[in-house]
Amino acid sequence: MNTKLRRTLVAWALMGPITVVILFPFAVMLVTALKPADEVLQPHWWPRSPQWSNFVAMWDATNFGPALFNSLVVSGFSTLIAVAVSIPAAYALARMPFRGKGAFRQFLLISQMLSPIVLVLGLFQLVVSLGLLDTRLSIVLVYAAFAIAFATWLLQSYFATIPRDLEEAAWVEGASRAKAVRTVFLPLALPAVAVTCIFTFVQAWNEFVLALTLLRSTESYTLPIQIFSLVAGRYTIEWHYVMAAALVATIPVAIVFAAMQRHLVRGLAAGAVK
Amino acid sequence: MNQGSAPRAAAVSPAAAPPRRARPLGGAVAYLLILPAFLLAALIVLWPLATITNISLHDVNRFGQLRGYSGLANFADLWRDPDFIATLWRTAVWTIGVVGGTLILSIPVALVLNRDFYGRGLARIIIMLPWSVSVTMTAVVWRWALNGESGLLNSALRAVGVLDHNVVWLASAATAFPVQIGIGILVSIPFTVTVFLAGLSSVPEDIYEAAALEGASGWQQFRSLTLPMLRPFITLAVVLNVIYVFNSFPIIWVLTQGGPANSTDILVTYLYKLAFRFGQMGQAAGVSIIMFAILLAFTLLYVRLVSRTETPT
Amino acid sequence: MKPIFHLMGSAALLGLAGMAQAGDVRITVAEYSSKTGPYFDKMVSQFEEANPDINVIVEVTPWDVMLQKLTTDIAGNANADLAIIGTRWLLDFVEQDIAEPLDSYIDEDFQARFIETFLSPSRMDGQIYGLPVAASARAMYYNKSLFEEAGIDGPPATWEELKEDAAKISALGDDIAGYGLQGKEIETDVYFYYPMWSYGGSILADDGSSGFGSDAAIQAATMYKSLIDAGVTQDGPTAYNREDVQNLFKQGKVGMMITAPFLASQIKDEAPDLNYGIAPIPAGPDGDRGTYGVTDSIIMFANSGNKDEAWQFLDYLFTQEPRSEFTRGEGFLPVNKAVSEEPAFTENEDLKVFASVLPDARFAPVVTGWEEIADVMSSALQRVYLDQATPEEAMTRAADEANRILGK
Repeated sequence: MNTKLRRTLVAWALMGPITVVILFPFAVMLVTALKPADEVLQPHWWPRSPQWSNFVAMWDATNFGPALFNSLVVSGFSTLIAVAVSIPAAYALARMPFRGKGAFRQFLLISQMLSPIVLVLGLFQLVVSLGLLDTRLSIVLVYAAFAIAFATWLLQSYFATIPRDLEEAAWVEGASRAKAVRTVFLPLALPAVAVTCIFTFVQAWNEFVLALTLLRSTESYTLPIQIFSLVAGRYTIEWHYVMAAALVATIPVAIVFAAMQRHLVRGLAAGAVK
Repeated sequence: MNQGSAPRAAAVSPAAAPPRRARPLGGAVAYLLILPAFLLAALIVLWPLATITNISLHDVNRFGQLRGYSGLANFADLWRDPDFIATLWRTAVWTIGVVGGTLILSIPVALVLNRDFYGRGLARIIIMLPWSVSVTMTAVVWRWALNGESGLLNSALRAVGVLDHNVVWLASAATAFPVQIGIGILVSIPFTVTVFLAGLSSVPEDIYEAAALEGASGWQQFRSLTLPMLRPFITLAVVLNVIYVFNSFPIIWVLTQGGPANSTDILVTYLYKLAFRFGQMGQAAGVSIIMFAILLAFTLLYVRLVSRTETPT
Repeated sequence: MKPIFHLMGSAALLGLAGMAQAGDVRITVAEYSSKTGPYFDKMVSQFEEANPDINVIVEVTPWDVMLQKLTTDIAGNANADLAIIGTRWLLDFVEQDIAEPLDSYIDEDFQARFIETFLSPSRMDGQIYGLPVAASARAMYYNKSLFEEAGIDGPPATWEELKEDAAKISALGDDIAGYGLQGKEIETDVYFYYPMWSYGGSILADDGSSGFGSDAAIQAATMYKSLIDAGVTQDGPTAYNREDVQNLFKQGKVGMMITAPFLASQIKDEAPDLNYGIAPIPAGPDGDRGTYGVTDSIIMFANSGNKDEAWQFLDYLFTQEPRSEFTRGEGFLPVNKAVSEEPAFTENEDLKVFASVLPDARFAPVVTGWEEIADVMSSALQRVYLDQATPEEAMTRAADEANRILGK
């Protein structure tokens, strides 16, 4: 047996138990989603006749489409804003000496420490006084703000690994600082920007407490609260639809992870030592 | 790029100019650059923090409307509440349990995933999967699976012969709380493993080859090479996980709402009950402030401790 | 900068106009089932057709987070014009001047639409603050097939009989329990008040202090504990909330349980073959009995800027046709007299039982801090069910804590 094959067997033997535990909830989702309504409460694993049509019925029953759209819009825009303000801040932290740098770092760490649920009452009053209640813009701004700390930290540690010489060479060639950043620095920083985008996007995609508080009309609901509203205090719960919806909601993110997984590690690796 | 204009431009701005120009500008430009991030974060984070602090120092009605200054009365009330003190300790158990368990599992998983083997890509994707589900939904799925009679966990465990009768997992804290900690670990693994994989990928392979030639065992290599290289990544994972787990609401709320008889309450669930069920807004704001203070103290202490042990080596 | 350009272009997409305009009526409604949202949408479009100058905006909120939403809304001064609330919360809304008294809008004809039993919980200090929108009482569901199999003639009349019957049914099989006992989340305490009332107890004593320490309460808790010890309830009651126990009943795994009329309409949809009956809750040794009456009310907010328009919508909502459709769809008891006389209700055997127990109905006491007192009782019961405290210890402690909340 060659070594790689042996290593493969050992690796999967070690990974086996945790893989089973991780896949278990997904199996539960799939099995429950495929059961006909009168079988849902019975704890057997194999549906007598798998109802793939549950997924179609779920789409209407749970108002899935609009919620999916809202989630995409909200996650997309909050990611854009978070990254747009974090890039300059990270650049300043990585490249420029300025008084209060330490204080700014500490401020970012503190902003990371406050959980939305702890602040929910204050946040709500803020959103009301800005006149943004029940708009998707409100959670876009809030998500972006909560993402800044991690995004800035991730970006600045990567930025710090990009050699200064390249930019300085561009200055020598007469480019302005801004131009050097745009033409030399940013293209090199692209992997980190991509990773930051993914982290921010997923965070927003899965966020729950704030959306629940700040969004009130069903038209503005994002996926997590749309699905949650199917189980929260109704007198009867259509579990097969809930599970089908939960499963479908995870697919886009799972695909992104599958595609970007290598880059995620690389983006984190580059400069996290700082 | 820009090659054509380079000579002319170089004549205008001599080589020594950039550092000289960057210096005085550095300060002002730096502030301009951090300003948007600072403003947005400050608006969304500091403003509500001020509101909450204000509420915690007032007598408030159940709708959060201020009624009069009350000093530290809300905090004193909390201190006299035996449930609060018990919850404080349970939060420590929860946080240490989840973060500790996550680290203990994530390091070996990352080590395995860092080796080359058939199906590694698939294994990495599986480890990432819990990340793609909102924690709230994960908790809902588990609640459904943990149901005593119609739960799929019991029927799976019975099918493989682990159990011979249904276990009612959520009936008491003795089974419910460990299960909750387990789920907490499960959802924390993807991020932590990713961080560790990042750490491992920055360890050059040839160090190990050299160590192996010198006859170092696998464990010795891990102790003397891998662990030190991973240390900054472990610090990062500890700090961020502690913050997330300490503040984590959905797992406990969805599974047991802190029950039965408050036996699985942690600070966030206790805060939620105080604020939105019992209408004790003042005390709830007090809990918020205390939670913030605990995290702040922990983070500053931990970061300081870690940087002290690191500088001499 | 490109991102900013995109942002401005998409401001419309993000929906900047969130707040209501003048003339709009906003109503926050609780989501009782998947039918609630569509029902209100339909009512709104019918209403707007007749009143084209009024625009009604419905906000559907899951029940579990209803109180949280109302609280944050009011704290942020961003509440709607109308909202459905649990009538048990009403006192707090009245005391803080948040609910508007409705007497100036209500004339005799309007008041005569309601069944008085359900209107009275919304009356405080002689004023009406809310209109009952949903009403239910509780009765005992029993599985006729299981009763037959166990050789029992009919539903038990007393708790003593219930215990014997439950033992016979439990003997039918490992996964069958005689009595479904709720021990988790909302109304865990209520599930205990049924026997407590039967034994002659009450939530509040005559002097307004807690009745949790009474002999009746201790007897009732001892009785429930003896059911668990005898193995005639489902395993681990503290893991089962109301919905979980109802699911057991629908699957035919539980002989008896106490719950609201809506279980009957769920059974019709989800387990049409289940052979069940509905009976009054068993009586105590002295013939006492009690059932829990619950109403939810629509209130108008005192700070509403569109009270007249809001009232017009309420007026429409409480006419016979809309009321009838709601009550049938959600499986509640009629609160309108005219609706209760419709054949759909008078000829419904299940609902007849619920109507017959109404004279025994008791409502949640009108005290501030009721939710916290209910939580105290639920925790006390969970300690008893889990063997962490004796009924005496748990009930005495619950009475002390309740008295502290009551300020007694």
